[in-house]
Amino acid sequence: MTTKLKNTLLILCLGVTLFGCEKKPDDPVIPNEEEVITTLILTLTLSGGGVERVFSFTDLDGDGGNNPVITIDTLAANTTYSGTLVLLNQQKSPEEDITEEVKEESAEHQFFYEVNASNVTVSYRDKDTNGRPLGVSTEFVTGASESGSLKITLRHEPNKSAAGVDAGQIQNAGGETDIEVSFNLEVK
Amino acid sequence: MRLNKQILILFFGLYYGLLFGQECIINITGSVVDLGTGKGLGLVHVHVQELELEQISDSTGKFVFRGVCPGKYHFSFSHIGCESYDLFLVIDQDTMIEVQMDHSFHVSKGVAVKGKHTNHSIQRVELIGEKAIEENPNANLGSMIEGVTGVSTLKNGNAIAKPVVHGLYGNRITILNHGIAQAGQQWGNDHSPEIDPQSANRISVIKGVSALQYPGSNLGSVILIQSKKIVPEPHLHGKVGYFFESNGLSNGTHLQLQKGAPFLSWRLNISAKQSGDRKTPDYFLTNTGQKELNASLQLEKRWSQRSFGEFYISSYNTELGVLRGSHIGNLTDLNEAFDRTIPFFTQNEFSYTIASPKQVVHHHLLKVHQKFYITDSLSLDLTYAAQLNNRKEFDVRRGGRSDLPALSLRQLNQYAAAQIEKELKADWKLIGGIQFNYIDNTNNAETGIIPLIPDYISFKNSAYFLVKKKRKRSLLEMGARYDHVQQNVATISQTLPREILRYANQFHNWSSSLDWSLPLGAHKELVSNIGLAMRNPAINELYSGGLHQGVSGIELGNPDLKSERSVKGTVALNGDIREKWFFELLGYYQQIGNYFYLQPQNQFQLTIRGAFPVFKYEQTDAQLYGADGSILRQISTSWSAKFKYSYLRGDDLSNKTPLIFMPSNNAGLDLVYELPKHIEIGKSELENTAISVTNRYVFKQSHLNIDQDFIAAPDAYFLLGLKASTNAQWSKSRLHFFVKVSNALNTNYRDYLNRLRYFADDLGMNITIGGNLKF
Repeated sequence: MTTKLKNTLLILCLGVTLFGCEKKPDDPVIPNEEEVITTLILTLTLSGGGVERVFSFTDLDGDGGNNPVITIDTLAANTTYSGTLVLLNQQKSPEEDITEEVKEESAEHQFFYEVNASNVTVSYRDKDTNGRPLGVSTEFVTGASESGSLKITLRHEPNKSAAGVDAGQIQNAGGETDIEVSFNLEVK
Repeated sequence: MRLNKQILILFFGLYYGLLFGQECIINITGSVVDLGTGKGLGLVHVHVQELELEQISDSTGKFVFRGVCPGKYHFSFSHIGCESYDLFLVIDQDTMIEVQMDHSFHVSKGVAVKGKHTNHSIQRVELIGEKAIEENPNANLGSMIEGVTGVSTLKNGNAIAKPVVHGLYGNRITILNHGIAQAGQQWGNDHSPEIDPQSANRISVIKGVSALQYPGSNLGSVILIQSKKIVPEPHLHGKVGYFFESNGLSNGTHLQLQKGAPFLSWRLNISAKQSGDRKTPDYFLTNTGQKELNASLQLEKRWSQRSFGEFYISSYNTELGVLRGSHIGNLTDLNEAFDRTIPFFTQNEFSYTIASPKQVVHHHLLKVHQKFYITDSLSLDLTYAAQLNNRKEFDVRRGGRSDLPALSLRQLNQYAAAQIEKELKADWKLIGGIQFNYIDNTNNAETGIIPLIPDYISFKNSAYFLVKKKRKRSLLEMGARYDHVQQNVATISQTLPREILRYANQFHNWSSSLDWSLPLGAHKELVSNIGLAMRNPAINELYSGGLHQGVSGIELGNPDLKSERSVKGTVALNGDIREKWFFELLGYYQQIGNYFYLQPQNQFQLTIRGAFPVFKYEQTDAQLYGADGSILRQISTSWSAKFKYSYLRGDDLSNKTPLIFMPSNNAGLDLVYELPKHIEIGKSELENTAISVTNRYVFKQSHLNIDQDFIAAPDAYFLLGLKASTNAQWSKSRLHFFVKVSNALNTNYRDYLNRLRYFADDLGMNITIGGNLKF
């Protein structure tokens, strides 16, 4: 090959290289994270009114990043509370209520409340479109003073007809976990 | 067996031929020579379409057609256990044809070890020929080459399979599709190479070290997917194929048309397949169907005696389901899945439906190549290629978002290369080249999820040279390569408020290699090579961040990674003992400094979906070593037996632990019976009929610590396979028909390198029936 051709090639290549390496990606579009659940709030109220008991789990930046903030409360002994669960996406302004989305797909979702305390029981107070429990509304009944823990799980597409699932037993439910948070439970 | 392209046609009596031209007195004589042994090859079927005549070469490889009229003739040569080869000749005089065939009397059918005969370096090359490709129409690239010793596949179900060669995969090996390094998403373990093997005529695995002239990683092996040059013959030819699979009720079809003409030669390939849910011996694997539609067009043009142009365009399109029960939300789900015998969401009925989780992938390739012979000994190759890859992965999502992809990537790759080859006196050869590679990788914003890997633009400028020397039967080759890599990256922060963080990286990679082959007497050959190579960290290793649901962990890139440095040596001995025993033995050792791997961190990241283990890319010193061996015994002309064995071990030297995702050791025994005679059915004859039994034993991967995986590696397993194939030659067409049974004993098993082992058994028995009609 002639020197001329060689030189031409070399210059061509350098040209491509120098021109090319300057190029940077455009600013990526920051996705609209509609699906994110940043916050779970369980509010327990007495039927006759009184101070609300609130348990919350907040992880504003989603999976990874900073650690979540967890707040807990104490429950009174030998008391019946009605529980309400709220899911929020607080990355949005104004914040978005994800509970509505879950209620709309109630047949495909179920909350499970696993209590590790001998005298506390949780029962469902709502139904999905097929008459099976959903778990946004619940009833908490406490007994003697004790301490333990509460694990709240939201399953997507569980097998709601499996044994024990109606009664809130998660073992046979299957499906995929969308939420799994644990709180320390103090009954005084 | 492969027919060498070198076909010697000797013409005798040119003027006599003209004188007696119109009389049918021409004799066509010929001989078929085995390239490996230099001896005549018997039992080759030589069919002449226009004469409707067939001769079989005698034990010295000779055949003759007497009293032939002048005219144009299509010859077809076929031999048991090999591809048929076609030749078109204008005959107007006595003609002698000498065909050199690279017969299979090496250990594996179609193994070629040639320095100068191919463009590859002096390395162990294992070939998968057209016949094997035709008989595996249901296989993807990974499964297609799984039979090669030292090659395994990393799977995520049946449809997603990445090749693993000598323990390396993904970014660490290079896959060249028609000469172009496969771009697309190679970083994830669930990213299958986007290539249709049916578009190729042969697939080669170079199991050596750094093949320096190829772009891509030079750390390990190279897989080449190639098409043959279009035969210069002016008639329309082609083949049409169909197959059916019992497992998954798959149907597939393939059409190839080609025509060689002085103006423009062309070849067209179209293939389509569809399968539904696969099945283990006991239950359906719900949502494991797949659809695929591929096409390619190859054009060749000889501009002049010294200038040859080539154009190739291909399109690969697939939609594939991922086992529904393998889509999990968190570690609790994963632990529950381990305890189940049948995965969650398993349906009792077969279905072709593909729902989320699924992948929809499109990959398009365009290539233009031009070769100039500047002088007889100096040539220049110019290549340009572009690839466009679109990958969308769909998860099961809430609020009707399952129709939105959870991962959506678009990658544009452009490549330009120039190479000079100069032949010097005394069998010296010099090769030099430069290459430019540009990648623009963009996340589409439609997902509503912070992407796992960031947007980036990467440039790679490379230069290399090779020196080759041939002396008698010895070959020596050495070379060096330099790559300059620039990565411009734009990531989105993990913390709020979301910010765009930009990075710019530069890497300089140096590679070099030395290869030599020495004949040891007439029957043995020693091939050896040593290579040094560097690999810069890939974008995912540097900047991935977030929850990788597929592995139930939070994966963190490490922006401080330094390039990997590898040294690999191989020694291979191959040959035969009295032409009855044929053997190939290969040993290798590779040490990789700064080896990137995902290290589980001593912390769990708490999220609203529960606690996840955190894995971060870290570096260590690693070693991989192993051996591949195969021995073939030609028991008689009809019977042959082949034994093969692969051993591999990978260690993390710094942490004194085994490396994960290393293939299990495995052994195989294949018995082949080739019918020496035709079977007559009415007027037709079945020829080249063969029956084979394959036995494959995969050992348990025991070189692992308990804390390196969620559950223990699966047990060893044994698979039995059966196959029968035959051919029928008619005047203008040839039928190749086969039946094969894989996992014939319907064994329940799980494979260590298949991620679905966490959830389900592997495939049960599968019967494939297929045929190809060549015309």
